Amino acid sequence: MAHVIRSICIVGGGTAGWLTAGIIAARHRSEDGHGIRITLIESDTIGTVGVGEGTWPTMRTTLKKMGVSETDFFRECNTSFKQGAKFARWVTGDPSDFYYHPLVLPEGFPSLDLASAWMEFAEKRQDAPSFSNAVSYQEAVCELGLAPKLITSPEYAGIANYAYHLDAGRFVSFIRDHCVNRLGVHHVVDDVTRVVRSETGDIAYLETRKSGQLEGDLFIDCSGFRSLLLGETMGVPFVDCSDVLFIDRALAVQVPYDAEDSDIVPHTVSTAQKHGWIWDIGLQSRRGVGYVFSSRHTTADAALGELQAYVGEKPRSLQPREIKIHAGHRRTFWKGNCVAVGLAGGFLEPLEASALVLIELSAEMISGMLPATRETMDIIAKRFNATTQYRWDRIIDFLKLHYILSKREDSRFWIDNRDPASIPDSLKDQIELWRRRAPGDQDFTSNAEMFPAASYQYVLFGMGFRMDTSDREPNRHAGAVEQAFARNESLKIKWTKTLPNNRNLINKIKEFGLQKI
Amino acid sequence: MHLVELSRAEHSGLKINPDLAEASAARQHLIPIVASEFRKAATQYPIVFAKNPETGRFGAFVLNGLEPEENLFWSGTKLDVAYVPLNTRRQPFFVGTADASSGANHGVLCIDIDSPCLTASGQKSIVDADGSDSPYLKEILSIVDELVAGQKQTGSLIDTALSLDLLCPIVLDIVLQDGRTLYAEGLYSIDENRFRSLGKDKVEKLWNEGVMELIYSVIISTGQIPNLIRLRNERESLSRAWRDNEN
Repeated sequence: MAHVIRSICIVGGGTAGWLTAGIIAARHRSEDGHGIRITLIESDTIGTVGVGEGTWPTMRTTLKKMGVSETDFFRECNTSFKQGAKFARWVTGDPSDFYYHPLVLPEGFPSLDLASAWMEFAEKRQDAPSFSNAVSYQEAVCELGLAPKLITSPEYAGIANYAYHLDAGRFVSFIRDHCVNRLGVHHVVDDVTRVVRSETGDIAYLETRKSGQLEGDLFIDCSGFRSLLLGETMGVPFVDCSDVLFIDRALAVQVPYDAEDSDIVPHTVSTAQKHGWIWDIGLQSRRGVGYVFSSRHTTADAALGELQAYVGEKPRSLQPREIKIHAGHRRTFWKGNCVAVGLAGGFLEPLEASALVLIELSAEMISGMLPATRETMDIIAKRFNATTQYRWDRIIDFLKLHYILSKREDSRFWIDNRDPASIPDSLKDQIELWRRRAPGDQDFTSNAEMFPAASYQYVLFGMGFRMDTSDREPNRHAGAVEQAFARNESLKIKWTKTLPNNRNLINKIKEFGLQKI
Repeated sequence: MHLVELSRAEHSGLKINPDLAEASAARQHLIPIVASEFRKAATQYPIVFAKNPETGRFGAFVLNGLEPEENLFWSGTKLDVAYVPLNTRRQPFFVGTADASSGANHGVLCIDIDSPCLTASGQKSIVDADGSDSPYLKEILSIVDELVAGQKQTGSLIDTALSLDLLCPIVLDIVLQDGRTLYAEGLYSIDENRFRSLGKDKVEKLWNEGVMELIYSVIISTGQIPNLIRLRNERESLSRAWRDNEN
């Protein structure tokens, strides 16, 4: 008789656990109790990592599908808007060196190739605008500290594409309450004392301190770095990626604002340092700042000095928390009846905020592909592993791209990062192609892509990558390209005049709320 | 606009021409209305919901034109329409509301001393010779009372409609006789399909709260949209004829 999948047991109550529970429950629960039963067990003795975090625009869809109100999300999670990232001092290290990776796609993308036209222009003109400024209006909006929408915009709808900055600790409580009270997720607060496997190798049940045995047809490992189920129990080894991405430490601090009404920067700021880079995320009540660095290239004390120089006097009293990072992931992500989501599956430096989006994508995939029976689960596992491996590889390539385009020479950290031996072949191939042709959809043909070709354009041309356009075919869309540049200029004028100050809008959302329609 | 609190002593000498009140609506494509006006308004205008640009909250309005600042009922001297909203008729008086952007305090009757209605040739005063409230002021006060009472009812209609997901955006995508297109966003109406699929208990709730007739007024009033298009086309052909004559 077929073993029908009726229950899912999630281990771990951090962001990964609760988001996964919410995403699956929103799709598979049923009012009459005939849906999939979802249980989440979390320890009240093990803390979460909980630094300020950045999302992708995908979080809007994720929360909407879960039935969360965006207004409540702003009120409860210290939430603010994120319109991409500003990378400072990544190319030369000069104080004036910066570029944007905005979330708004280049005007006319992907049917028009503005990148090649911009490159031809920039080759000829010293005063050419930056790539992101020429093709998108969002850099101008960010530089003025404006929000991506209006108080009259409905929940989750934007004028400019946007994601969020949020307080991870508050976000977990917020999603937990929603899962338990609205989505019928069973919540067990207890410690797992033993994971028991059946003779087939599957996980049969969990032994707990107070709650007896917890059974499940599918177990989801959201236990964080420990990887209790997939790593410790199922024995799936860890694939280290520190030969490509050198960052292995983080020092995180919380920085108060000067005043209650200080501006909230509407994008993530990533400022390159001598041995890594500093993230700076503006929440409503404070900033989250952290230095991620390579301990093979510098000491924690030296890093602390750089961090203090960045934040100034204020947080000297606050003890920075040191977090060890192991860049890499499990060799497979789904084995038997166990699948890992979040840190249990792997971790990379937060340069492009890939942690939360990978949780969303993984949970979404588990939810969408959820096998009907145990007998068909191995087919799904194979697909899940192939897609997830592909996603990790693309993220690693994209993060590495930021390092190999840097021209900094001020430490071994930056020089070593450009060592060809540290660059994945897949990235080397792409770079070869892009020396003569702009990144386009033809370079990214999977339906599991992480970053659109536009993101590569923003980073490549933001960082001064030279593309040889001399052998380019005559542009058959010259008129349309001119129009697109002009359209971008008028959008820039329109939205920098219309969009409100970031903090003002957030205050209004908290006071009046956003409408659902 | 310069609002001051109305004082029967200080403002006793003001001469007011109420006929000029309608001029204040000449460039208003949306005029706020309250629940008690819905029946009368529905016979003349589309009733729509729109968001306050400062708060994002919904209000109820009559739609006078197909573009911002267009009032197709304004003839140049008066509003050529069988029902004029209270919010136009109360001019040049204002009453402060909790979320007013006018600066008037909540519940306080004010007068706009910059209003064109204040004119030496005006026939109306706020007080009679014996110092008592004039019939004109009494009429204004009753309008203001109706507005204040009606606002509460309008608010609860909107809250109820939102809680039942009964509001939906409407987009006016209009081709005029001369081929030009007009596109208006930011307007909302009742979602008729959702309204008709409401369960018995919800329908009964709407009856008990007295909002059923308001909802039907809104639904019926959408039939006035073609009238706005007709007025707009007439206006366009008039101005074309005018130009042709000149040439």
